[in-house]
Amino acid sequence: MSNLQLEIKNLIIDALGLEDMAAEDIAADLSLFGEGLGLDSVDALELGLAIQKRFGIKIDADAKDTRKHFANVTSLAAFVSSQQHA
Amino acid sequence: MRLPDAQQQPDVGFLPALQRRRLSRLARMLFHVAWPIAETQPALPLVFASRHGETPRTLALLTDLAHDEPLSPTQFSLSVHNAIIGQWSILRGDSSEMTALAAEGDGLEQAMLEASTLLGEGAPAVLLVIAEEAAPALYAPYIDDVPFPYALALLLKPGDDWQLQLRPGQGPREQWPHPLNLLRALCGEQRCLEHHWKNRQWTWSLNKA
Repeated sequence: MSNLQLEIKNLIIDALGLEDMAAEDIAADLSLFGEGLGLDSVDALELGLAIQKRFGIKIDADAKDTRKHFANVTSLAAFVSSQQHA
Repeated sequence: MRLPDAQQQPDVGFLPALQRRRLSRLARMLFHVAWPIAETQPALPLVFASRHGETPRTLALLTDLAHDEPLSPTQFSLSVHNAIIGQWSILRGDSSEMTALAAEGDGLEQAMLEASTLLGEGAPAVLLVIAEEAAPALYAPYIDDVPFPYALALLLKPGDDWQLQLRPGQGPREQWPHPLNLLRALCGEQRCLEHHWKNRQWTWSLNKA
C-alpha cells in the first residue's frame, strides 16, 4: 500500500467521522459509494472538499470522470497523484 | 456556574457506525435518552425543544466563513434547528409529526403546550425531549443557563395526574436548569413546582393522592 493510499484512507476516516474504523479496514479496491463502504452523496461532497484542501488540487464536480476517480482508494490515489504532477 | 467540559459523548452504540457518524453530541444526547423510550412504543410524535441548539456547529460554520474557507457540506446540511429531529425520523423510520422548538427559558413548558395539542388531536402518546449543549467558550459570556450539557426525555400520555398552569407573575431563578428541577420533582415526593421566566409563572401540580 502506498503512502498516498494510506493518507487517503485516513482522510476518509477523519473527514467523514467513520469512528471505529481503521485504515486497514478499507481495502484499496473497496467501492466507496453504494455497495462497499456505503458512503452517500453528502459524503461525496465532504470527501471532495477534504481532498481539495489536503492536496491543493481542484476537482470539477461536473466532469464526467470525477465519478470514476472516486470509485475506490486506488483510483483516488491515482487521480490525486496525476493532478499533483500536472 | 459552568462545569468543565471534557467532551464526553453519550453512548449511541445501538446504531451502526455509518448511521451515527453525523450525529453531533447534542443529537447523541437526544438519541441516548429517547431511544429506549421509543423502543417501547409504536410510531411516536416528537416535540424537541432546545433554546440554544447546536452552537458548536454554528460557530464552526461561521469560523470557516470568516476565514474564507469553503463550508463543510455535512455541517451545512445539519445546521438548521430541526436537523436532529430529521435524523431521528430517518434512523427510527418514523414519519410521525415532529416539531423542533427554540423557546426561551421556559422552553419546556412551551414544548408541553405543543405536546398537549398533539395529545388533544388524538395521539396516544407524545415524546418530548429537551436538551442543551454547552456553548463554545466564545459564546459562554452570553449563555448563562447551561451549566453543563443535559437532556431529558418524557413520554407523555393523556391523563390528569399532573396539571400545568400559566399565570402572570415573577419570581426567583432556580440554580439548576429547570428540566432537571422537574425531573427531581417527578422522582421525589414533590407535589408542586413553580417556574418563573420573565413575567410568566408556570405551576406544575400533582393531582392524584
